Amino acid sequence: MSFRKRNIGLSPGVDRNAVSNTAQPAPESTPGIRPSPDDGRPTTSTGTRSLDNLLAGHAGLPMGKLLFIEENGTTDFAGALLRYYAAEGVIQDQKIHVVGVPEQWGRTLPGLIGSAESLDEKRSDRRKDDRMKIAWRYERLGEFGAVAGSRDGESREPQALSFNMLMKIAPSTPGEQDPNAKEAPAFCHAFDLTKRLTHPSITNMSFIPLLPSKESPFAAILKRLQTAIASSNASTVHRIVIPSLLNPTMYPPESSQPEVVLQFLHALKALMSAHANRVTAMITFPLSLFPRSSGLVRWIELLSDGVIELCPFPHSADATATSGAATSQEEPPQGMLKTHRLPVLHERGGGSDQNVGQDWAFILSRRRFEIKPFSLPPAEGDTEAQDTAAAGGMPKKSDLEF
Amino acid sequence: MAPVNLSHRRTHNLLLISKLLSLRDTASPLTLVLDSLEQPATPLLKEYIRRAKLSKVHVTLIAFETLKQPERVDAFVTTRRKSSAEIAKEVSAVYQAVASSNPSRRRLILIDSINPLLHSRRADPGFHLPSFLGSFLAPTSPSAKVDTSLVVTYHQDVPEPPQKSPYASSPLSLLTYLATSIITLHSFSHILAQKAARDRSLAPPVFGLEEEQEGVLLGRLDKLTGTGAAEGIVIELEHRRKSGRGVLEWYLLPPASRYSPQHLKEIVTLLDDSILYNPPMERDPGAENEEPTSTFELGLTDKQRRDREGVVLPYFDAQSGNGPGEGGRILYDMGEEDDFDEEEDEI
Amino acid sequence: MPSQPPLPPLLAPYVSSLPDASLTLVSSILGATSNWLVLRFLHAALSSQPTSTFGADDLPNGTKKKVVLVSFLRSYEFWKTEAKRLGLDLARLTERHEFAFVDGLSELFYAPQATAAPTSSPGLGSSPRTTLPLRSPPGAVLGRAPQPAAPTGPPGNTAPKQAEPGIAKKLHFSGRGLASLDAMEKDVASVMEQQKTHMEEGDELILILDQPDLLLATTGPSMGIGATEMAEWITGLQQHAHATVLTLATDAPLIHNSSGLGQLATPIETEHAALAIGLAHRARSVMQLRTLETGAAKDVSGVLRISRGGGLSTENNLEEREALYFIQRDGGVTVFGRGES
Repeated sequence: MSFRKRNIGLSPGVDRNAVSNTAQPAPESTPGIRPSPDDGRPTTSTGTRSLDNLLAGHAGLPMGKLLFIEENGTTDFAGALLRYYAAEGVIQDQKIHVVGVPEQWGRTLPGLIGSAESLDEKRSDRRKDDRMKIAWRYERLGEFGAVAGSRDGESREPQALSFNMLMKIAPSTPGEQDPNAKEAPAFCHAFDLTKRLTHPSITNMSFIPLLPSKESPFAAILKRLQTAIASSNASTVHRIVIPSLLNPTMYPPESSQPEVVLQFLHALKALMSAHANRVTAMITFPLSLFPRSSGLVRWIELLSDGVIELCPFPHSADATATSGAATSQEEPPQGMLKTHRLPVLHERGGGSDQNVGQDWAFILSRRRFEIKPFSLPPAEGDTEAQDTAAAGGMPKKSDLEF
Repeated sequence: MAPVNLSHRRTHNLLLISKLLSLRDTASPLTLVLDSLEQPATPLLKEYIRRAKLSKVHVTLIAFETLKQPERVDAFVTTRRKSSAEIAKEVSAVYQAVASSNPSRRRLILIDSINPLLHSRRADPGFHLPSFLGSFLAPTSPSAKVDTSLVVTYHQDVPEPPQKSPYASSPLSLLTYLATSIITLHSFSHILAQKAARDRSLAPPVFGLEEEQEGVLLGRLDKLTGTGAAEGIVIELEHRRKSGRGVLEWYLLPPASRYSPQHLKEIVTLLDDSILYNPPMERDPGAENEEPTSTFELGLTDKQRRDREGVVLPYFDAQSGNGPGEGGRILYDMGEEDDFDEEEDEI
Repeated sequence: MPSQPPLPPLLAPYVSSLPDASLTLVSSILGATSNWLVLRFLHAALSSQPTSTFGADDLPNGTKKKVVLVSFLRSYEFWKTEAKRLGLDLARLTERHEFAFVDGLSELFYAPQATAAPTSSPGLGSSPRTTLPLRSPPGAVLGRAPQPAAPTGPPGNTAPKQAEPGIAKKLHFSGRGLASLDAMEKDVASVMEQQKTHMEEGDELILILDQPDLLLATTGPSMGIGATEMAEWITGLQQHAHATVLTLATDAPLIHNSSGLGQLATPIETEHAALAIGLAHRARSVMQLRTLETGAAKDVSGVLRISRGGGLSTENNLEEREALYFIQRDGGVTVFGRGES
């Protein structure tokens, strides 16, 4: 299981596109924006590295796309994702527009630890200096010697993926430094939920309140977003953050009328496609109030570019016994994550991504929101055999072949 | 069922459907056709039009969903953006124009789908379904008396809008109440599949929308239908006679490609008479199962059977020996290589 | 894998010969969208030779078909980029009056303010580019971004002729009920009539309506628009076209909630189901897209089922079939039967 996705970056489709992209090694001009390893379109980070890696090979949220995160139950994991997303935007000097919540929300953004990479480095004892001295294909083998006995290989997987892809994008510059290292402003950062974000540009966030009005409560919001984006500098990147859409404590009852909320989302989509290269948006949505089986929610999903559903496990004191932790050393997953639609991929027809249809579990800890393949726990007493099998020193045959 | 009973049914009910489809004797002024995506009414409406043309009946199509005037339809009335009163007026007008030249004084009015009308959100306060339908049937002027048959199609799978008044009866029950004949259409292949399942005491399969599979509107596929054998429409007819008695019968209408448009004889058969629905049972049911299917001829001709009986088996021959011990003995000389074990083998 | 022909052979008969006055319904769900199939219809109609490979549309010789695409969920940019992958240059086809795009996305409900600042950066402008936009460096893409922010005058149905390249008309919804639909119908019809002035005898105008069900969802009975009104709207447009292709969503909540007796369906569900099923009754063929029942697979994107609709007027000899399809990362599509590859 733990070796299963090692070849993730080597699917033929990626190869072909990567080759076609070699002509233009993309320069980094705007901080926080980088070309997708899949097709070169600009992407930005969601502030959660494992979520970035879930997004159909783009290793980030493509610009102009709207990510819709639904959550079942009473927990607020989606809120954590949203805060990461906002915090990442603050760090990247992007303009954040938060809809419907008071300014206190901005003060709850998680504190910065460093780049997401540095966190990963620490976790995996990875020797960065050594890394570029060996060709990347051998480096992968090196992992087995260096961190034998560690199951961290799996969590590091997405990084290896994006790293490999970047290497393939720019193979014509062999003498170049590690692209990751060169990226002085990191693409994705790590945050600590227990700390508070302090950053000079945090005051730059704008909060758009829901004002009572005769017509659609969203009309004023759209107008403000429209004006803000249209009047800003062409190089300013915007993030639209909408926490808990249609939550009755914030939104008036008539806002859940299809003609009100769907018109708003359609207009938002129009706005984002008009400024397709400098706006992204993330919306969270309470499924316990509006179930997925209703036509209204389905239309909201159809209007979104990406749809992700969080299904937290019921709370339990004896977490390891009930949840799907692979081994007792790992943190138990806190819920399942389903991808119903992914940006760009589904717009073009959908289906062919490795990540689609996979069962994902998520773990929210103090310092990270991690998404990884979901696996049922092994039978009690069999953990030893699992461990040795997973940490075996021999790389698989498939790892050696290209 | 008793064969006498069946032949009686066949005679009467085939006459009835023939009369209904050919609009003879105004047997049914208002026919309601209930169809679904699995078996649209299209072939039946075409059959109505075909027969109407053969007997020179004036055909009017009130089009709620048809875009272009189909062949052999005399008058085509579009309904887009028209109130029910305007539609009724126009339908009456198109016949007035030809009334004098039309000798048969019979007319057929087809409504390709009544659902949009029932579903309309348009403010049409004067709309009243019974009087709307009645306006077509009622003679417009006493001088021009015509026999009008109205055939209304209703798509069963289109959901009904919520009732304006919670106490009013639903449009469908109103239509079935008003109609003199109700024709429910089924796909022949589905009927066969459901019968096959019932014969094995399995739950009958469902198709199309009823599968409730996401993304599936239609379940029909040629592969399912087979190559032609199971084509056709099953007509479930419920007819109210003038006497008040009801008749319920199932018929089979073969596909239009099987007969020429000028065909005069009755083509509709009883469903029970279909070979596919009721396979003939002439042979002894037990005899069929005895012979396994094979490419080899395993049966015997009479001569072979006689010859076989004539063969005298060695066993019988041996028994005819003289005295005890003679018959059935195996004569064998021990060879050198035989390892004879006295305790084990005994000759 | 070798490069795929833009039009998979198995699909070709279904997308290329559309009889007169026919309606082709394409249904999609959340996880299996129809954009790729719409592109195949575009290709079948606009590519000068049906079997041609990339770049063959430069040939000036006579295509017999013209297309008006009305899209409610996707921008012109999207269609242009994706069509380019198939070798269709929509900008050039627009210039040659073979293609017209009606934008039902950007200003349908909220027209941008007329006071929008001019934001296009110098040099790049918003002219139609000849390279694939997604291959250009992000810097350039950024500069090109704000093009549709051009002032468009007062909102309403009297929008002036668009200066924006490629987009023939932007639809606006205002008011409620039939009047608002009529105004939009007039807009689309005027584009279609405009196309017809460039047509010769025997040319066919194909109308592609991409997700008009959005209009129904975003308005609904409370604004005086129901399934009947939408269907009439579509009929009105069909009358201007030779053949019509229409895409809509058939997700389970939108179709099946209204048929079950257990729960009360919301108006959005009832109206949507009535529209979708009603259109299927009118259609000549219904092409249904869905995901695999058995879960996702690496080499299958979804299932395509082609069925005959219930349409009365057309002689229907369409062969029904079900096939799997796979969309590669470069946009190429393979369509194959189950068990084949």
